[in-house]
Amino acid sequence: MKKIINVTINNKPCELAVESNQTLADLLRYDFGLTGTKKGCDTGDCGACTVILDGDTVNSCLVLAVQADGSMVETIEGLSNEDGLHPLQKAFVEKGAIQCGFCSPGMIMSAKNLLDKNDNPSDWEIKEGISGNLCRCTGYQKIFEAISSQCSKPNSDINPNINQGGPHGKI
Amino acid sequence: MLLPKFEFHEPASIQEAIELKKKYRTDARLLAGGTDLLVHLKKKLITTDHVISLLRIKDLGQIKNNKESVEIGACVTMARLSESKVIQENFCAIKAGADNLGTHLIRNRATLGGNVCNASPAADTICSLIVYQAHALLESTDGKRELPIESFFMSPGKTDIRDNEILTGFKLSIPGKNCGAHYIQLGKRKSSEINIVNVASFIQFDPSDQTIMNSRIALGSVAATPIRSFHAEKILQNKKASESLFYEAGEAARHKDCKPIDDFRGTADYRKAMIGVLTKRTLDAAFKQVQAQ
Amino acid sequence: MEKFDIISSRAPRIDTPDKATGKAVFIDDISKPGMLYGALLQSPHAHAKILSIDTSKAEKLEGVKAVITSKDAGSVKYGVSPARYDETVFAIDKVLYVGDEIAAVAAVSLETAQQAVQLIKVEYEILPAVFTVEDALKKEAPQLHENFPNNLCAQVHQEFGNVEEGLKQSDIIKTTTLKNKRQDGACIEMQGCIAEYDVREVLTLITSTQVPHYVQRTVAMVLGLDIGKVRVKKPYLGAGFGIKASANPMELACCILAVKTKKPVKMNYNREQVFMYSRARHQFTHTITTGAKKDGTIIALKHECYLDGGAYTSFGIATVYYTGSLLGGPYKLANMSYDGYRVYNNKPACGAQRGHGAVIARACFEQQLDMIAEEIGMDPMALRIKNMMNTGDTTCNDLNMSSFGMSECIEAVRKGSDWDKKKGNMPKGKGIGMACGFFVSGAGYPIYRSDTFHGTVIVKLTEDGGTALVYTASAEIGQGSDTAFAMIAAETLGIPLENIRLASGDTDMGVDLGAYSSRQTLMTGHATKEAAEHAKQQVLEVLAHKLDIPMEDMDIKKGFIEFKNHIPDFSVLRTRYIKEHRGWTDNPDSEKLTFKEASRIAFLEKGSIVGTGKYKPQLLGGKFKGAAVGTSPAYGCSAQVAQVTVDMETGQVTIDHITDAHDCGKAINMTSVEGQMEGSVSMGIGEAMHEEVIFDDKGRVVNNDLAEYKIVTSMDMPIVNAIVVESNEPNGPYGAKEVGEGAIMPTIPAILNAVYDAAGVRMNELPLTPERVYNAIQVYRKKLSA
Repeated sequence: MKKIINVTINNKPCELAVESNQTLADLLRYDFGLTGTKKGCDTGDCGACTVILDGDTVNSCLVLAVQADGSMVETIEGLSNEDGLHPLQKAFVEKGAIQCGFCSPGMIMSAKNLLDKNDNPSDWEIKEGISGNLCRCTGYQKIFEAISSQCSKPNSDINPNINQGGPHGKI
Repeated sequence: MLLPKFEFHEPASIQEAIELKKKYRTDARLLAGGTDLLVHLKKKLITTDHVISLLRIKDLGQIKNNKESVEIGACVTMARLSESKVIQENFCAIKAGADNLGTHLIRNRATLGGNVCNASPAADTICSLIVYQAHALLESTDGKRELPIESFFMSPGKTDIRDNEILTGFKLSIPGKNCGAHYIQLGKRKSSEINIVNVASFIQFDPSDQTIMNSRIALGSVAATPIRSFHAEKILQNKKASESLFYEAGEAARHKDCKPIDDFRGTADYRKAMIGVLTKRTLDAAFKQVQAQ
Repeated sequence: MEKFDIISSRAPRIDTPDKATGKAVFIDDISKPGMLYGALLQSPHAHAKILSIDTSKAEKLEGVKAVITSKDAGSVKYGVSPARYDETVFAIDKVLYVGDEIAAVAAVSLETAQQAVQLIKVEYEILPAVFTVEDALKKEAPQLHENFPNNLCAQVHQEFGNVEEGLKQSDIIKTTTLKNKRQDGACIEMQGCIAEYDVREVLTLITSTQVPHYVQRTVAMVLGLDIGKVRVKKPYLGAGFGIKASANPMELACCILAVKTKKPVKMNYNREQVFMYSRARHQFTHTITTGAKKDGTIIALKHECYLDGGAYTSFGIATVYYTGSLLGGPYKLANMSYDGYRVYNNKPACGAQRGHGAVIARACFEQQLDMIAEEIGMDPMALRIKNMMNTGDTTCNDLNMSSFGMSECIEAVRKGSDWDKKKGNMPKGKGIGMACGFFVSGAGYPIYRSDTFHGTVIVKLTEDGGTALVYTASAEIGQGSDTAFAMIAAETLGIPLENIRLASGDTDMGVDLGAYSSRQTLMTGHATKEAAEHAKQQVLEVLAHKLDIPMEDMDIKKGFIEFKNHIPDFSVLRTRYIKEHRGWTDNPDSEKLTFKEASRIAFLEKGSIVGTGKYKPQLLGGKFKGAAVGTSPAYGCSAQVAQVTVDMETGQVTIDHITDAHDCGKAINMTSVEGQMEGSVSMGIGEAMHEEVIFDDKGRVVNNDLAEYKIVTSMDMPIVNAIVVESNEPNGPYGAKEVGEGAIMPTIPAILNAVYDAAGVRMNELPLTPERVYNAIQVYRKKLSA
């Protein structure tokens, strides 16, 4: 059974009918042609389908399209404009943070949300802020450098022992 | 992967939700964050004719601070729990669990109610809820019920929730002074883990002589449900905190209280050994908290 | 050293702006008008006879356009190497693993296709199944393939020098075993394809492949079509790492459905199917004996390995040879023997994955070098340098190191990691370890026996002269090959990188064996260079004629014509160019003649300026059986130092830091080289620490998702100090060679050696789960207290 929803995608409000069993990822990809949002697993494990929903990053494969009724959705396509690439996208390109590129849109959305909420995250917060976005190509290092370069106080000296810290609850 | 077809309901109030639950009972599944339910539906592990989403019910998304106690709505996400000041200040073991669950993306959707109703013995929040003696708040058209969280779990995936009931939230008393708690999980990698074992500990000290007045230890992934470690707690009773005491408590938890199984995540023997280590470490961290107060 | 304008720079990759903005098109982003959706029926049983297949109900379902089984697909056998073609598109009378393909459906929607698959009725007679090497080799074991008795897919027996004699002369002999676990490629993109069959009977397959050329040949062979009637195109690819380096049954089924329905058909694997298809790293069980002199000289190496192969051969025949041959270096070694056995069983087939065949052998051997060093009281780095091959050396199995900066790599990581200060002085629970490794820069021979060129490239100048189009059938799979070839073309032509447009991954553009065995930079790079030189030469020829200046006195640099002696009067040419561009506002007014003008004039004289290039390696390797595997025109090499912390109570290992030095010859793109190094390290860490495909007792993958199959997350990854060591490879274009796979070689043994340093335990099984390390620590403690 279809339901009518109102959703704002990349600042454009729209009204449309969706099937109750359709996911937000499929809605974006197949109904809106916003194929920058990728599907790498369809079960919330890889983060390739990351979009920003009402200010928070989500796996859009685990959100029903009907649940987006009344929401604001930001996708990778909303980041760049006629003036060109968003500074974060530019940093990803220049730092070599993209190899196959399949995880990149989701990764960039996570990074954007991280910086939206805190313009100067610590090294550890950057690592954690992309921990749900799997990348099989880069080893995350250049991704990390690209995000670091966009902090309000970029830290050129990344702590070489970053891996030894940890939040509560980890051994 | 395609989701099966189902009818979708989105009640705006608890009243509406319990009416729907009464109507559809086991033909309906409750949807909160969806990070488990939608995966299980996609993988065809479960089927359902009706999905009732609880996310539009504002009350379920609140954390209410009543000074003596706190009420956490069932649909509060892990991310909100972690950011909440009242949780950070009073329930750091819950925060530690919330910070560990899944990935940052999952934590933005996964809810406390969902994690509890999923009733996995490895769940990241349940051990902590147990040691804080949380009560589950249940509601149906027949009225409200409160259940101590410890007696809420029946078996993996099964809780004491009735077919016509909805879990609306949790009530927790704010621990007084001289209390400390901690939660640790052990996995193979450092993010997106499903626990091999996990432990939460809570201790209350007598401020006059540093003896342990009260303690609660909960063990995850070592039985059909998260369990209390009564033997370990007994060892701590009225004793002075020390490394060797915590070790002894850990050994009691390891040898007397847990009944783990072998599975592809780990063997029973290893799980037991790690229960010892984690119990010791959580107690140690809890003790350090009190010392720092 | 030669000075370059473009090569060796950190030019941003040409494909990444599209990838950063979500514009880059991957297979699942494509749809075609009137497109049908396909779905596969795969066996739920690990080993069974097919008694009957009834498709009637499926055919009757509304929306179903075709149902195909082996009756439609035929019985042509295919695979990776013609020496072991053992697969058919669909199982004919037996299924050999959970996931073996039985039938496929095309329908108007995916939902309908999947429903139809459920309606196909198959009667099975369940057969006993085997899932391990040990069980498969038992006398009474069920047999998978008639032609290969005892489930022995392939065996290799080689000896170079005299190993027994060598061991007799050795002062120290170490024997150890190492067993890894089956890996999964775990590309974030799942495989997919779209096949289309047009009215002129041309079949176009768009697919997520690393090897358009091999897929084209396989499709043509299996469907009985002319190669000229089959076109294979690759969109952007969500990485490969080896698992997409051959035609898969879904691609073939999709083609058959397209031919049958005359409509575009799209098919995708879901994540579970990706695990079922597998084709990733084998499980290896190595037993290695190394003999050395008291002074550290390595004398002999005896190597035995069993490969857990799965139900089909896939790359296995190459794997079993690589496993042996790539221990021939990087150390001087006169005596080496190898006995390798690849064994069939009822699990998905293993294939090739980054560091094909050689990663675990390396891990086992490099640990032994540390054991020997420890016993004789020698620094592990000193021991390695003592035995290291040099540029120009040839291994006992005839692999020639035409350039070899291995010792420089060791020195680089020694400095970079502060090794001399740290080794032997790490605090309790912390350790440091190192290892070396090397890998081919492209297989010396194609997978099928042939004299074919390994790559052909076309460089065509646009008629206005401003832009060079590079056409290559090579495969950009994320590694940055498109950018590398654009840079090589720009450097060779002497024009800016912006003036190159490149199209790749399409069999209509030529022959290229594709992205595997780290071959493209060297091989396609050579062909690109030759094609660009050819185009450049044609422009200069015309110019020489027009200006009456010998060709040798001219060159092209940064988009301008350089004259050796004096700048001639070229006003006639400029006037002619400008006349042809009346109304243009950006006509040239530079002091120097531009490349644009020159190549426009060349076009006016000769028509399209098209340069062609090609490459195949010189004759390589020895004469013995299997001598071809492991040969390459060049070898990349690397050294790494790992620093770890071991939690002695839980067994958890944290990788604190990696220092990695790699000799890639001349780095075409510095950033891309580092990216390959860092990526290799992350895959090595995954395999060392937590990756493991686990099966239940019915042969089903238990952890068939990316939650339970654990690749490295951002939280697991340490900082990698990637040090690029450049050498000048005589057989490489501009001196370049591989980096994509060699860089993974030392990662696992460096970690293993560091864990030993930290915890005193030698691990003989991977991955290093907390439990495995914990158990080893318990055994070690018992031994200490006894």
